[in-house]
Amino acid sequence: MDVRGDPSDPEVVARVLGGDAEAFGLVIRRHEAGLVRFATRMLGSRDAAVDAVAESFMRAYRHLASCRDPARLRTWLYRIVANRCKSHLARRPIADVPLDDAPPVADPADSEGALERAEQVAIVERALAQLSPEKREAFVLKHVEGLSYQEMAAVTGERIPTLKMRVHRAREALLRVLEDHA
Amino acid sequence: MRFVLLVLALLATPLAAQSVRDRLEGRVPAEAIPAVDSLVQVAAQENLPTEPLVQKALEGGAKQVVALRVVAAVQVSLTQLRDARDLLVRAGDLPPVTPGEVTTVAWALRRGLPAVVVGRIVGALPRPPRAAAVHAVADLVAHRFDPDSGADLIIDAIHQGLHEARLLDVSTAAIQELQRGRSHAEALALVRQELPNVPAAPKPTRAAVVRARRPPGQQPP
Amino acid sequence: MNPIDSRIHQALDGEIARDALPPALRRTVERLEAAAGLLAAAAPVPGLEARVMAVIRQPAPSRTWRVVRWLATPHTVMVRIRPAWSLALAAVLVLLALFPLGDRGPMLGEHEGIAQFVGRFPGARSVHVVGSFNDWRTGTIALEDRDHDGVWRGVVVLPAGTYEYMFVVDGELWVPDHLAERQVADNFGRENSIVIVRAVRR
Repeated sequence: MDVRGDPSDPEVVARVLGGDAEAFGLVIRRHEAGLVRFATRMLGSRDAAVDAVAESFMRAYRHLASCRDPARLRTWLYRIVANRCKSHLARRPIADVPLDDAPPVADPADSEGALERAEQVAIVERALAQLSPEKREAFVLKHVEGLSYQEMAAVTGERIPTLKMRVHRAREALLRVLEDHA
Repeated sequence: MRFVLLVLALLATPLAAQSVRDRLEGRVPAEAIPAVDSLVQVAAQENLPTEPLVQKALEGGAKQVVALRVVAAVQVSLTQLRDARDLLVRAGDLPPVTPGEVTTVAWALRRGLPAVVVGRIVGALPRPPRAAAVHAVADLVAHRFDPDSGADLIIDAIHQGLHEARLLDVSTAAIQELQRGRSHAEALALVRQELPNVPAAPKPTRAAVVRARRPPGQQPP
Repeated sequence: MNPIDSRIHQALDGEIARDALPPALRRTVERLEAAAGLLAAAAPVPGLEARVMAVIRQPAPSRTWRVVRWLATPHTVMVRIRPAWSLALAAVLVLLALFPLGDRGPMLGEHEGIAQFVGRFPGARSVHVVGSFNDWRTGTIALEDRDHDGVWRGVVVLPAGTYEYMFVVDGELWVPDHLAERQVADNFGRENSIVIVRAVRR
């Protein structure tokens, strides 16, 4: 039980495995936003991301008993989504990630700050799309999803030094783009 | 029988010394070899491990350090081994102290662990090996955890049945909490709550194992 | 691609305090974090839970039924091949079964593990790892840059234990492993990196 009184992930997993399928809804509600955000950054399309995450949740439900550490359910779910995104990208012929989810055009009544923010988001998204899938995945997991290197290693199966290398290069590429647009 | 052993011991000493010189010849500045050899013999007489001294000399030779600095570095290493041995004895290990433990504690001191903290770890683990425990605390100290608090966490983990490499998983878990934005105190508290079920380090992937090669000269077991 | 100051990476990885950075580097750290923050907005996902739960609530077909359904469902398979080629293919398969190709990698002993080394040295002609695991012999354990992207890698079988090491670039430049999690002074005025090899079979 966490501080808010909601059941913890291990408690929810135990309930689902005990036959309470409805309890899986709590897993979805708790983790969907972050997983869809991650998948969107990987695939460049929110629609594709939602599909990937839905399929991932279904797979997670079917294989929930194979989650060896329910306290690390979040990491386990990220791993499933990451693998699904990789499969999706492998089928795509070109490495470029389409940006069919450009940030919404700001209402002209919005302040200049909102317009500027929308432009900045577009710049950062474009820079991210130019990275290889491995570097993009590492950067998003580290700086957007807030995973530690240890968790990232569990998600990706890569060693921490390899992940650090990818994150470092992603930062350098992003910084170069930001400086070009400064 | 005792006479035979005595003869063998008398023969072994110069043979061992010769093998040290053989290892150093051509790899360490020639003018450093006698002094290094002498330091190795002193270590052997004090029941200290000699391999770290030989390694330090070889390292100096490989890094093309001048003879004087090689000798100085080996001398420093000998002092560090003595300090480690003395710390182990003060913490309760009976002489002669295990060479591996002396090397381990010397590493801990070199990595910046205060002697009193190393002593606490040794006290918590009455029997070797302690390498993982001291490295785990040293990892925490390297990430600016308070040494005593870091030692407390690792000692708690030991008391909850974790040992050897699993202790490294404990320090890793605390460091990962730090990287997620927790304060040092929060990180320690969170990991303490999880004990003994901290996540284990992922095993190497099959692809990595397939790519692995043995260093030249290393025999498979 | 020009590498940025390594202190920026260390600050972002929580290895050094941001207060310890000069103002210019601190601003760069804040800039990168702000950029990442722009990506962190998480909009609600209407309908996702309902969609997944609808599938979960359906009674699962039995395994037998799933197998029967797969067997009964037509799958298109089209192969056109000369009889001579099919005989040759069969012969190759038999040979592969008898004499498997490919490197399965080394058999690891009970007290052995592997150490993975990776470092970025764009423009380097060679990178070796040298340490207490090979008596500090230079030139014996070479890393490889297979993609020619400046990232050099190597995987080495070693007895479980603790080792000190450095990289040697182009046969002469000694460089610590900046990605290593542990360092120690080498008593020569520099720092060695430390790798702890765990036994794989425990």
